[in-house]
Amino acid sequence: MKVGDLKSVNEKYQMFSAFTSEADVDAKFIFSAKDNLTSKDFETKAGSRILEGYYPPFDATPIAKLRAAGGFLSGKTNMDEFGFGTFSANSAFGIPRNPFDLERSCGGSSGGSACAAAVFEDHVSLGVSTGGSIVCPASFCGVYGLAPSYGRVSRYGLIDYGNSLDKVGLLSFDASDLRKYLPIIAGKDPHDPTSMTQPELELGKNKLKSVAIPKQAMEGEGISKGVMECFDSSIETLKGLGVDVEYVDMPTLKYSIPAYYVIATSEASTNLARYCGMRYGHQDGDYTLKFDDYFTSFRSQYFGDEAKRRILLGTFTRMVGYADRYYNKALQVRGAIINDYKKQFERFDAVVTPTMPFISPRFDEISKMSALDSYKADFLTVPPNITGMPHLSVPCGYSEGMPVGLLFTSDHWNEDVLIDAAERWDRAFTVKHAEVGL
Amino acid sequence: MDREIVERVARIAHLDLTEEELDKYSADLGEILEYFEMLDEAPGVENRGFNPVEIADALREDEPSMEIPSEDCLKDMKTYDGYVRGPRLS
Repeated sequence: MKVGDLKSVNEKYQMFSAFTSEADVDAKFIFSAKDNLTSKDFETKAGSRILEGYYPPFDATPIAKLRAAGGFLSGKTNMDEFGFGTFSANSAFGIPRNPFDLERSCGGSSGGSACAAAVFEDHVSLGVSTGGSIVCPASFCGVYGLAPSYGRVSRYGLIDYGNSLDKVGLLSFDASDLRKYLPIIAGKDPHDPTSMTQPELELGKNKLKSVAIPKQAMEGEGISKGVMECFDSSIETLKGLGVDVEYVDMPTLKYSIPAYYVIATSEASTNLARYCGMRYGHQDGDYTLKFDDYFTSFRSQYFGDEAKRRILLGTFTRMVGYADRYYNKALQVRGAIINDYKKQFERFDAVVTPTMPFISPRFDEISKMSALDSYKADFLTVPPNITGMPHLSVPCGYSEGMPVGLLFTSDHWNEDVLIDAAERWDRAFTVKHAEVGL
Repeated sequence: MDREIVERVARIAHLDLTEEELDKYSADLGEILEYFEMLDEAPGVENRGFNPVEIADALREDEPSMEIPSEDCLKDMKTYDGYVRGPRLS
């Protein structure tokens, strides 16, 4: 589908939280961006009511770079509030619908970006990943999703979820877009010190010759039969491409979920302290209230359910008396998981698993999941994210008519391995378009 | 997690929870923290930094600069006499 009448498209899929139907005929390409990246011209809410009415005076660096390269920003994509979710069902502004089945989720938290990448031709979307928020929706919507190394793409203008975890990346139907757009958005940015120590991006130095499959990830609970069949078939395809495959032990992976959620919510709870009825979004408070009561009134009224849950969890895990058991321990465990990956990268170019353990669930199934059920669903996407390693989801099969993703993780800064993998995979596997009709 | 602890945490986090929310988050956080107990037995590495990759300080020259004019930053903020407006301190 060409970008045209976005209003009717958006009514059907709810992928945008804000968009323009105006077209720039001089634009070299059209892109969209997750709504936790600040942008001039568009209200920026990050899926949260507390930011309603916020019109940033500046573009986030990745948006500025794409615009400078001739790109036209067509809209801001819908997402879980501040990135807090696996299904994009935690947005205050509508829930994106999966183009393969409108009763199912696009995945999260970059669900709107994955939906836009699946529905529009010649379209690339900027997503953001903290614990799997690019590859999860890429998997559920049947598109390519690349989360670069932590620090590869500037976070200037990104509305923080977890500072030590957030990564800006790309979603597209076309594998060739990754090589085209990653060099544009990557690079050092003095506005983001964590981007300043990165080595130069070299696409072409390393290729995918061997992969490791962690036994512990595959033996974990909950990988569905349909996903396993697609995964097994994908491994045969990889072997056919001349890639060596070996099963390995990675014993620390099972600690990824608790370590990740402790670090992520600890960081989130401090980042969200800034939303208090001053400076951004809603500021229509009662100035007769006392300091603490004024702040509390906004936060209680405008934060959503999952945001409150994560603020509570993160505040608790770094409180005096609990920080050593949770936050400090989680940082140490992250180090052990990084070492586990590094050991594999001495012998292999990438680690592979399915991206998500099941196909996209229906919304009625999601509503029955507990918070912990939802967190545990991330057990395949959280390991590369907590380690800051670049990772890629490619569409690798279809189960019950829904897309399944294959997840590649490479060593820090080796995005070239993933781009090589995506391009070779794209020549070996026929990716299906969702049947889009209005 | 005990309701009393949830109430204490909520107060620190500037959240005013309803009785229903207190019950719900108390149950949810109890279940989540029980699952997190596996961290007690997890192997760890000493002296890990706060970031997953090595980060070095990157400081600019100590010279005044203003990339975004202050009036642009203030345009959507509630202000009083050019200052950001907030609640009283006492």
